[in-house]
Amino acid sequence: MERSYLGTWLALPVVGAVTALCIAPLAILLVYSFFQVNFVFILKDPTLENYARLAASDTYRNLITKAFVSGGLVAAITAVIGHPIAYHIAKRVTHYKSALLILLLVPLYTGDLVRIFAWRVLLGAEGVLNSFLIWAGVITEPIGALLFSSLATHIVLTYNFLPFMVLGLWLAYESLDDRLVEAASDLGAGRVSSFLRITFPLTLPGLIAGGMMVFVMVVGDYLTPQLVGGVSGITIVSAINDLFGTAFDWPLGSAIAWTMLAILCLFFTLAALVISRSTWGRALMGGE
Amino acid sequence: MTPAEQYAETEGGRSHRPLLTATGLHKNYGSVHAVRGVDFHLEANSYVTLLGPSGCGKTSILRMIGGFEDVSSGHLELNGDSLVNIPANQRPVNTVFQSYALFPHLSVEDNVAFGLAYKNLDRATINRKVASALTIMQMSEMAKRRPRQLSGGQEQRVALARAIVNEPKLLLLDEPLSALDRRMRKDMQIELKDLQRRLKMTFLHVTHDQEEAFALSDWLIVMNNGRIEQQGTPQEIYQCPATSYVADFIGGANRLPGRILESDNRLSTIETALGQFQASSVSGLTPDSGAVICWRPEQLHPARGGAIEVTVTHHVFRGAEWLIEAKAQDDTTLSFVVREDAVPEIGARIQLSFNPENAWIAADDSAEK
Repeated sequence: MERSYLGTWLALPVVGAVTALCIAPLAILLVYSFFQVNFVFILKDPTLENYARLAASDTYRNLITKAFVSGGLVAAITAVIGHPIAYHIAKRVTHYKSALLILLLVPLYTGDLVRIFAWRVLLGAEGVLNSFLIWAGVITEPIGALLFSSLATHIVLTYNFLPFMVLGLWLAYESLDDRLVEAASDLGAGRVSSFLRITFPLTLPGLIAGGMMVFVMVVGDYLTPQLVGGVSGITIVSAINDLFGTAFDWPLGSAIAWTMLAILCLFFTLAALVISRSTWGRALMGGE
Repeated sequence: MTPAEQYAETEGGRSHRPLLTATGLHKNYGSVHAVRGVDFHLEANSYVTLLGPSGCGKTSILRMIGGFEDVSSGHLELNGDSLVNIPANQRPVNTVFQSYALFPHLSVEDNVAFGLAYKNLDRATINRKVASALTIMQMSEMAKRRPRQLSGGQEQRVALARAIVNEPKLLLLDEPLSALDRRMRKDMQIELKDLQRRLKMTFLHVTHDQEEAFALSDWLIVMNNGRIEQQGTPQEIYQCPATSYVADFIGGANRLPGRILESDNRLSTIETALGQFQASSVSGLTPDSGAVICWRPEQLHPARGGAIEVTVTHHVFRGAEWLIEAKAQDDTTLSFVVREDAVPEIGARIQLSFNPENAWIAADDSAEK
């Protein structure tokens, strides 16, 4: 018993740090979401006014929807691209495995801004892609929509967050027993059927892990849309940023931030529920 | 050819055409030669064992038949049709994997039903076949469980049910008993043999355990170093090993190397460090070639005036009899069996004799390797 008490005391600094660094700021944010702004003063009378304004505003509702749709879309695209890459690194490569993994991570070391500007060079009106297409005679005028558009935003977001999806899937593929795939083909399954019935469900934990990372990061990203999204570049996060900055409406900003957080938590809970309820989920996670 | 035609053909032509024929089968991984030109065939409705130490190429052969490895060169024919270039999922062959390879996310019955999804059957037929396979393997009560909730022996049964439910012509078993404890292994051996007889399938069983191979096989293929050393019935291989390697691997035999003095096809004389002996022999021995004389422990008897003088060094109690180990003059250890009332003392000097009909002279292949 004494040892377990000792453990409790030793854990205290960690608990303290988590509380101070993670929970306290969120709690402050929550408290602020019930305040109101009068000119330059913050009135500390509790009210639900901010949440009501949010619910009544088409603009904010659309921005929130847009953020989550983008998150889902980019997670789906990275999943489709990530599966073959992760499979290849885990199952086909032996000598250059770590080299490939490092190659995958190198872009992450260069910083967001550098990568986003690199894409501006590629996609711009006088950029590499347009110049090439004109040179090749495919087009005569540069395609303006390549840059400063929703398309550009999603291309760059996919590029930026693909490594996280690949890492999640790669781990799942590494622990996938090749014999299971062999057994499936032994029993008559073709490639597609074997992927759908064996590989996909058994790598699903990796897909969910990678997908959640990508989803959360895309929902919270506002640099990319701002720099390559043009008029489509306004996001709910940049709106929150404006509310805290120039607009000086901390309470409304807090309310939006907390709404986003609540929706994200809802997503995660749903995902966890689906996994724990489904039979394969229980089999994979060992919850049975 | 439709499955029905194929079936009719196997039934009709069973007496003459083998189920599976391997001709000059080779497998190399880069510069490593795992299988170096192997010829054998499997009769329909038989239990065949590929026996050999790890790395002898037996698993590679199994995987080539299953379709998991390409054939480097040579031929594989099933019912007269070439298997080369036919993907694993289109071969009428099923495998029981060494680690069972049960699908962890599926229940026992879904595991067993997996392969039936590709056979154009209605739901009711699938359910009936799954239930019957589970009944055969005595796993009906576990139908709803998941593989991780099963013991090793139960997993084994599910793996068998999952394979036989597809009614393959040939069932491949890759060291299927190696993960079980000794007691369970014995029971499962009997059950496997019984299953093969009842289902009238051909089982090709890969193992490194000679006891298992003897217990199960109608036909035994002993492999070493990517080649077949000998194939035959277990009795033939036990009594008349073709090479000293086989005699050694099958185990238990006393072996004494020497040189052939003279040989006709049935009887040879060998010169060894302990003297000259005459015994029946493998055919094709030439005078002055290396050879080895083998005695089973039960074929050597203590006898006054016997040809071999030894000093007793060990007693091993084996139930109804004792196994005695003794050293000959040149330090060769010989073992023989005596009844309980005739156990010699340790240190005693005795003579051993044997009936030349029962001893066996095999080629000594150890020099080639």
